[in-house]
Amino acid sequence: MTNNKVAIIASNGGLFDAYKVFNIATAAAATDQEVAIFFTFEGLNLIHKEANQALAMPEGKEHFAEGFAKANVPSIPELLAMAQEMDVKFIGCQMTMDVMGLEKEDFVDGIEVGGAVTFLEFAKTADVTLTF
Amino acid sequence: MIKSDSVLDAKGLACPMPIVKTKKAINGLESGDVLEIQATDKGSTADLKAWAKSTGHQYLGTVEEGTVLKHYLRKSSEEETREKKHPNVMKNEELQQKIDANQDIVVLDVREAAEYAFSHIPNAKSVPLGDLDEYLNEFDKEAEIYVVCRTGNRSDLAAQQLTAAGFKQVINIVPGMSEWTGPTGKSVY
Repeated sequence: MTNNKVAIIASNGGLFDAYKVFNIATAAAATDQEVAIFFTFEGLNLIHKEANQALAMPEGKEHFAEGFAKANVPSIPELLAMAQEMDVKFIGCQMTMDVMGLEKEDFVDGIEVGGAVTFLEFAKTADVTLTF
Repeated sequence: MIKSDSVLDAKGLACPMPIVKTKKAINGLESGDVLEIQATDKGSTADLKAWAKSTGHQYLGTVEEGTVLKHYLRKSSEEETREKKHPNVMKNEELQQKIDANQDIVVLDVREAAEYAFSHIPNAKSVPLGDLDEYLNEFDKEAEIYVVCRTGNRSDLAAQQLTAAGFKQVINIVPGMSEWTGPTGKSVY
């Protein structure tokens, strides 16, 4: 099989950002792609144990909550668990964690912590690189 | 009603769940098995086609029943690399010429019923390879029998089985439906 890698940078921390990241990641993993996500700055919200349970809608877009429920869209913790089950690799940005005073234990289990080079090493051979 | 080996209920689920569930379901199937996916997500048709293309599985088609989309996939198999053994073969084009000449010939399509349903040679009879034994008495052992599948491999096996059962003139059509350019019929809409 040819090289099938998808490298994603998640650098924003709202609910919409989380859906963009995890939908693409789970879809790619289900299509036999090897996926890694680098969570940096606000993107760390997406894998923070408490924060990811209650991510905010963009201001003025709160009315979309109804649409999410109606379309039967899975919750972010559900999508996250699914992504991990399909071996999507989560890399937390060490530098941002230091700045924000966060420890690996503040995040969901199974993440790696690394610097920019850890991600670049993976992204170097990826066919698709996405930034959210 | 199209025959499948397994049915996945993905109704009411939004993207990417139908794909994620399909991936899990197909892992539990045998090569060559047909999976029916029931979905209500309107994007699922395009997604499943793309998914099948990129994972190497065979997308057969979709039937719409009210708000439910029934997608059919066949799990990929290793058959593509197998060496063919039945000596008597004929190209797609020659079979087309025989059909055009209005010759009264027997064409057996040995693919799965679901593959046949979405596209087949108009006069071909659906006889899935796994059920071939049940049909042996329906055909004349002296007649010319043309056997077709998707790529010429299942039809090769069928041709060998028919010859072993006493059929005198069995011809395997190569490559088969994957490159068939003549007219086709459908038994689902």
